[in-house]
Amino acid sequence: MLGKLKAGEKGRIMNISGADKFVRRRLLDLGIAEGSEVCVKCILPFGGPVMIESCGQCIGIRRKEALRIEVERA
Amino acid sequence: MLANLIIGGAIFGYAGWAFYRFIKKSKEGKCAACSIQSSCSSNCSVNQDENLK
Amino acid sequence: MMNIALIGNPNTGKTSLFNNLTGSYEYVGNWSGVTVEKKVGVFKNGEDQLIDLPGVYTLNPLSKDEGVVTNFFLNEPFEKLLNILDASQLRRNLHLTLQLMEYGAPVIIGLNMLDVAKNRGIQIDIGKLSEALGVTVAPVVARSGKGCDELAELVTGDFVGMGKTNLVYYGKAIEDGILRLANMLDGRVKLPIRWLALQLFEGNSYVKDYLVKYVAIEEIESLILSVADSHFQLSGDKQTLEQVIYRKRSETIDKIVAASASRKDNKKVPLTEKVDMIVTNKFLGIPIFLLMMYFMFMLTFDWLGFPLSDALDAFLSGPVTAGITAALAAAGSSQFINDLILDGIIAGVGGVLVFVPQIFILFFFISLLEDSGYMARVALVMDRLMEAVGLNGKAFIPMMIGFGCNVPGIMAARTIETPKERLMTILLTPLMSCSARLPVYALFVGAFFIQHKALVVLSLYVLGVVVALILAKVFSKTLLKGETSLFVIELPPYRMPQARALWRSTWDKGKGFVKKAGTFIFAGSVLIWLLAYAGPEGANISMDDSYLAALGGIFAPLFAPIGFGTWQASASLFTGFLAKESIISTMNIIYYVPDEASLQGLMAVHYTPLAAYSFMVFILLYIPCLATTATIYKETGSKRWTAFSIGYALLIAYLLSLAIYQGGKLFGLS
Ligand SMILES: Nc1nc2c(ncn2[C@@H]2O[C@H](COP(=O)(O)OP(=O)(O)OP(=O)(O)O)[C@@H](O)[C@H]2O)c(=O)[nH]1
Ligand SMILES: [Mg+2]
Repeated sequence: MLGKLKAGEKGRIMNISGADKFVRRRLLDLGIAEGSEVCVKCILPFGGPVMIESCGQCIGIRRKEALRIEVERA
Repeated sequence: MLANLIIGGAIFGYAGWAFYRFIKKSKEGKCAACSIQSSCSSNCSVNQDENLK
Repeated sequence: MMNIALIGNPNTGKTSLFNNLTGSYEYVGNWSGVTVEKKVGVFKNGEDQLIDLPGVYTLNPLSKDEGVVTNFFLNEPFEKLLNILDASQLRRNLHLTLQLMEYGAPVIIGLNMLDVAKNRGIQIDIGKLSEALGVTVAPVVARSGKGCDELAELVTGDFVGMGKTNLVYYGKAIEDGILRLANMLDGRVKLPIRWLALQLFEGNSYVKDYLVKYVAIEEIESLILSVADSHFQLSGDKQTLEQVIYRKRSETIDKIVAASASRKDNKKVPLTEKVDMIVTNKFLGIPIFLLMMYFMFMLTFDWLGFPLSDALDAFLSGPVTAGITAALAAAGSSQFINDLILDGIIAGVGGVLVFVPQIFILFFFISLLEDSGYMARVALVMDRLMEAVGLNGKAFIPMMIGFGCNVPGIMAARTIETPKERLMTILLTPLMSCSARLPVYALFVGAFFIQHKALVVLSLYVLGVVVALILAKVFSKTLLKGETSLFVIELPPYRMPQARALWRSTWDKGKGFVKKAGTFIFAGSVLIWLLAYAGPEGANISMDDSYLAALGGIFAPLFAPIGFGTWQASASLFTGFLAKESIISTMNIIYYVPDEASLQGLMAVHYTPLAAYSFMVFILLYIPCLATTATIYKETGSKRWTAFSIGYALLIAYLLSLAIYQGGKLFGLS
């Protein structure tokens, strides 16, 4: 799960279908889909959002959604 | 006396015009102290469609 | 004359290019969703028009600002497209480009951000890219204007190709579906069928609504179903049409990118990421934000802004007033004209103008925030808090913009995807203390809280935010229940703000304030002065017998419980609805003093410090100004919500001021 990675860890997205429909759409718009490599850049406190990096761009999503995205640790 | 008339007329004339302009513009949602003021000229089409409910 | 539409992904520099090509100055900022409506400008050749649009990732919209673009494609005439690509994010940008080529209008591509791409080690072969797409590709640096003239010549010229409309083959099922839609429409629509069909299959609701005008909705729906079904029959994969279309485009894009771009890995950690480690740090994120705000207020109200305002005040009440007095004497003007100019116009307009330095400092900081890329980080840092009250971090951006002026703040709410959160943001943004309220604070803290100027003002700004958050919680529990919230935000790389752009942006925001002083405040001052000069018993009477006093007197008792039951206070509150600055000019005229310093002295007689704070809180919250109200109406399209936004603000302002004043008295403050 993407939400389980620690700051600095990398992974490859395996399954994104668990995430909210709109979140999935937005991530797709930003070029993040199954197979994309992502790296967790930082995690905000109190269950706040996570900042991930993929292909040189940074994106913030909620932890809740990140926990629904399956990744394979790289 | 003439000077009084000219100055007074100019002030009241200008004030009336400026007041009218301001109310008219504000009513359209244009804010005179506002950063996008100069660019508000375009009409926006956000509420023409209600399909993104 | 030609209409050329400027289109591209968010934050790729469209508006920067627009400004360069048309010589105008539109709102530029380093985050996604700066432009939220369509803007028209004229090319420097004086003929053709360029239309700046909000940034979109695809033509299938999720939010209102994206909807503006889809509507534009469906309903408005244009001859050519100018597509801006971010060279450092070629892949994602090309998804939009492919859709534009399917539309089949003549396209030119401007390849921007080449400097960023180069820093990342990305090399793009422009010739190969152009060949693969079949359209002209021109490199530009939108920020500095390099290559813009060549681009202008290209797009306004006669030789603009359509590109390859069939670049992507979507498989038999979908291609057949396109033909079937063409049969159904039977030449009744002017728009390109291939494009309409693909957008329809992707689930574009705007396109669907458009097609329903021509074909029965049942037919459309059964077409979509049967295409999906036959795709499954033919290929056996369970993906939705949207996914299939996306995948097919991606495959084509991969080929194009492989042929035209190369990448050498460069290992050094970009500066952006180093900065991010600090400002979005677990523990430091919010403290850093607050510290920056504090610094901003110290500069605006204390270290820099105050001395400058004082100097300007001395200049206006000294040499300028003396000069005008002398000029009037030379012209032989009457006492009436003298009073009108000196006690009315100079007091009213001058009283507002002295705050220009502070306004500009504030705007400078807002511009800095907008242009650096920190804005999106603030949204990220704030998201947890916002989520707790039923909003999302993105709603913080309109609120921050609202610190400058509420009107663009409310407009910026268009980028918020969920209608509920968007409505809440629109309703709550007026609680953000806009720059027009700043003179009121400046005046009162100068009179009553000399020691803690910045802190007191900061407390008001924070109070506005806190009240907004509490109300958000209340609204989302009562009026606006339900609906999941959504938060995905793009964090653009930090960019060093350029002095010129920063100045332009500051000036553009600040000049409105100056202009308003010369127009509306001028007119308002004349009117207020007249109302204070004349009364039921004639002209040139004691001000307490004037029309203004009578008018203010009606409502004064209402304000007595909150500490300022004078006719002067209620009269100035009235004018504040039209524009918040006029509160100050009204007070200047009413209290009839030559300069700011003596007004502050006089204030101390009419207000206690506690009443002064209560008054400031009331001003902060009590009503959105006329322009803001009109914008709320325009953006919500509902008279009820507009009335609500005024009503709740009045109520909250009154209750809070009451609590502060009466509570303060209980604790023995005065
Ligand atoms: N490094 C670099 N930065 C650029 C260039 N062009 C524009 N920028 C910066 O990119 C940011 C975004 O510019 P805008 O013109 O507002 O982008 P936009 O495409 O209109 O954005 P939206 O309206 O949000 O869709 C600004 O901070 C610009 O200064 C460029 O060629 N190189
Ligand atoms: Mg823009």
